[in-house]
Amino acid sequence: MNMKTLATVIVLSTLGIALSAQAHDPKEHMKDAEKPDCAAMKNMDHSKMDMNDPVMQAMMKQCMNDMHHNDSEKDQAQADHQDNEKSSGEQHSEHQH
Amino acid sequence: MSALTTFIKSLVITAVIALVGGGLFLYSGLYPMGADVPHNRLTYWLLETLRERSVARAASDIEVPGDLNAPERLLAGGADYNDMCAGCHLKPGKTESDFTLGLYPAPPNLTLAGDEHGHEHTGDTENDDEAIKRQFWIVKHGIKASGMPAWGPGHDDERIWNMVAFLRRLPKLTAEQYQILTTRGSSSVEQDH
Repeated sequence: MNMKTLATVIVLSTLGIALSAQAHDPKEHMKDAEKPDCAAMKNMDHSKMDMNDPVMQAMMKQCMNDMHHNDSEKDQAQADHQDNEKSSGEQHSEHQH
Repeated sequence: MSALTTFIKSLVITAVIALVGGGLFLYSGLYPMGADVPHNRLTYWLLETLRERSVARAASDIEVPGDLNAPERLLAGGADYNDMCAGCHLKPGKTESDFTLGLYPAPPNLTLAGDEHGHEHTGDTENDDEAIKRQFWIVKHGIKASGMPAWGPGHDDERIWNMVAFLRRLPKLTAEQYQILTTRGSSSVEQDH
């Protein structure tokens, strides 16, 4: 019995230590994260851009993510706007009846 | 025979005097410990040689991943560099911070190439394996009594390699490129990698 209690204590304390030692999560930094200034890419000299350069590839990737994110935000906003118009239209027609 | 005995005796006496003298100096508290008073040249050389030899030996067995140039690594490492390192090691367009002014030894400005910030051994070519291993080891294990923490306990090797990948590119980045590469904003790259 004593051995069982001891084993439980050891397992629980080991688990506690393991959980407290987890790596800090990048999501912790997301709260006040800046957005990439992809507009700055337009002002860069495109003739000097080397598409095989990993820095250029990383910037393109970052800005593609950003564009998709903005597009989906716009689509969502547009969809919300259409829903609102639709529901207000329905309310209006109901009101007329 | 007596000449040898005299030699050994004087050697022992010299060693005892050096030990007692060193001990007295140590306990006297005369050595300036403030970060605003630089080491004398001898202490600086001793500590720097000790550090460089130790890091070189410890880092020699590290294996460098073959995909350090992957854009995903630059994006993930860039965001971590900006959050964890830029305060001390600066970013393009910045030449000093409270940490660079106050820490001793001053943290190297990593936006400059190795020979420009006084660490020629860090190399400035992307194929400099020794320099890459050295950077990985320092980021992972830190440096005692220098203000450089060990990031290893809270970050796995992959994440540290991402930072090293970014460090290799940092000296050639403009402020605009740095801004784009280091933001976490809408990027989902760190989750992908």
